[in-house]
Amino acid sequence: MKLVAATLYALRIPFVESFSHSTRERRWSDSVVVRVRDDAGAEGFGEGSPRPYVTGETVESMLDHLARELWPRVAHREMPPADDLEAVDLWLPETHIAGALAPHASRAAFEMAVLDCALRRAGRPLGALMPPRRQCVTYSGVVTAGPVARAVQHARQMRTIGLRHIKLKVGFEDDVARVTLVREALGPEASLRLDANGAWTFERAVEVLTAVAHLGIAAVEQPFPRGPVEGLARLRQAVPVPIMVDESLVTRTDAEALLAAGAADFFNVRVSKCGGIARSRALASAALAAGVGVQVGSQVGETAILSAAGRHLAAALPAVEFVEGSFGTLLLAEDVSLESVRFGYRGEAPILTGPGLGIRVVEERLRRRAVTVLELTAEG
Amino acid sequence: MDNGHRTLRSTIESLFARQVESFTGSADFQALERGSAGPGQYDAFIESVTRAHLRSPQLLAFLYALAPPAAAADIQGNLLEELGLDGDSGQPHPDLLRGLLAAAGLGCRQGLLEAQADEDLRRVVVEPLLYGSLREVGLAALTEIVAFEYMLSRVSGRIARALAEHRGLPASALEWFTHHSEVDILHAEQGLTNLEAYVRYYELADDEALTIVEMTLRENVFTRRYFRDFVAAGAANGWR
Repeated sequence: MKLVAATLYALRIPFVESFSHSTRERRWSDSVVVRVRDDAGAEGFGEGSPRPYVTGETVESMLDHLARELWPRVAHREMPPADDLEAVDLWLPETHIAGALAPHASRAAFEMAVLDCALRRAGRPLGALMPPRRQCVTYSGVVTAGPVARAVQHARQMRTIGLRHIKLKVGFEDDVARVTLVREALGPEASLRLDANGAWTFERAVEVLTAVAHLGIAAVEQPFPRGPVEGLARLRQAVPVPIMVDESLVTRTDAEALLAAGAADFFNVRVSKCGGIARSRALASAALAAGVGVQVGSQVGETAILSAAGRHLAAALPAVEFVEGSFGTLLLAEDVSLESVRFGYRGEAPILTGPGLGIRVVEERLRRRAVTVLELTAEG
Repeated sequence: MDNGHRTLRSTIESLFARQVESFTGSADFQALERGSAGPGQYDAFIESVTRAHLRSPQLLAFLYALAPPAAAADIQGNLLEELGLDGDSGQPHPDLLRGLLAAAGLGCRQGLLEAQADEDLRRVVVEPLLYGSLREVGLAALTEIVAFEYMLSRVSGRIARALAEHRGLPASALEWFTHHSEVDILHAEQGLTNLEAYVRYYELADDEALTIVEMTLRENVFTRRYFRDFVAAGAANGWR
């Protein structure tokens, strides 16, 4: 079987309410969705979320890269078998985007689409390649940045829907008060972790974390910007709060350096950021083998496609501490699949058992929500 | 206790008022009312209104099943009215919407809209529940219904005028709107009372109830239902 056509959709799906962290405010999903079709007519969908400050990709560079680099090198090539995740990863060529750290969102979108296509053709679910180890996945809530009163309101809402794991965006002057009030709103039972999105200096991280440690903080994510791992290792020794890496963990080289330096208690593995399902699983496995915990993270504004991929990954790992994503229409004005992937009460969501990624994407919604649609054929 | 409930009622009412203000102040609504929207936008609006309310009887029947004793008679009355069985309006409200479609020359879209309305309902049923019990689910559903009654009692006359003036629809086609502008003043008042009765009967704390109401209204429910496709277009305009 060979790929004969692909379609790229640059989405613009408005959010129900804006989502912000210390450096960005988002009001809509800007994911890029890839649809591939093989010569037997089977289709598959994949998604990547380009983030200039994470992988160095933008929507424009991702579209260009997919259309000019990746697609010409896979069109009309014999597809890999549908029963081997690593074979799909090896089948995809290694590519680069000038000035970017890694074209991981592009690669993830393509890998997912090819996998989905091959599995759908075979009538098999992704779970056949990555057998689930649990029947349901439990998601965390994320309390966005913004005024403290809004953060507290969000925390109350999350408590009302029974979420047991909450992440709070920090990186502001009022961090200590913010964490204190949100903890109060959540009650003592919920696990609370913080995400600074690289907004702190070493000194500020020590100051805030020392002040809030008694509130029971399960982890702090990316306290300061991506940089030498020694800073993280030093912070890990200086504060009584476990350290999770996110922007510092993009490539396998990053993972090796972080593990060698003992710089993290948790890896935040995200499918789009880490270059696809196979590479994300490999990073998570390396972490677990080294005694480092794993969070399966998500992209703000991801659609059901990336959420489904994350769900499969989270279900298949031998151990997963926290899982994020699957907000569906809690965040998006409209999602793109027939099935809802949104989690329910207590953040719980069932594993997906349908063919491929386990969701049926409604192409009409992609077209309606896209600001750019590029049709690619094997002829170029 | 009474003070607490008065506060809850007025807080909810002010949330409704804010939603109505933001809905009628939106560029999309203004364009419809001023006649600057394109013909396709009027058609899309008519279709969205139809899709949003075609299955209202089913939703009211669900709420009737959950109604506390103090609100049961009101909700039963609303349900009978929706079904055209109250002896006054005579026609089931979904039929008024079908008539609106036909008069607007959109009769050929009815099948699709019926299917979409069915799918909307199916989705509500199969989607994982966000709340721990029917008590909270019912409050969220009741909040949305009462919010629409509140909005329609204040705005549906304006919508009817806009559709008559700028889309050329006759008064007979706009009966769904004119009917709601008259009866929903009463319904909206009753609705707020019923919300209070619901909260009291099912022993929800005020802050707990308010959190559910706020979650239900965290996006503009009117914009979401009536301008569902306009939202994407509006966002796209600002992108490049």
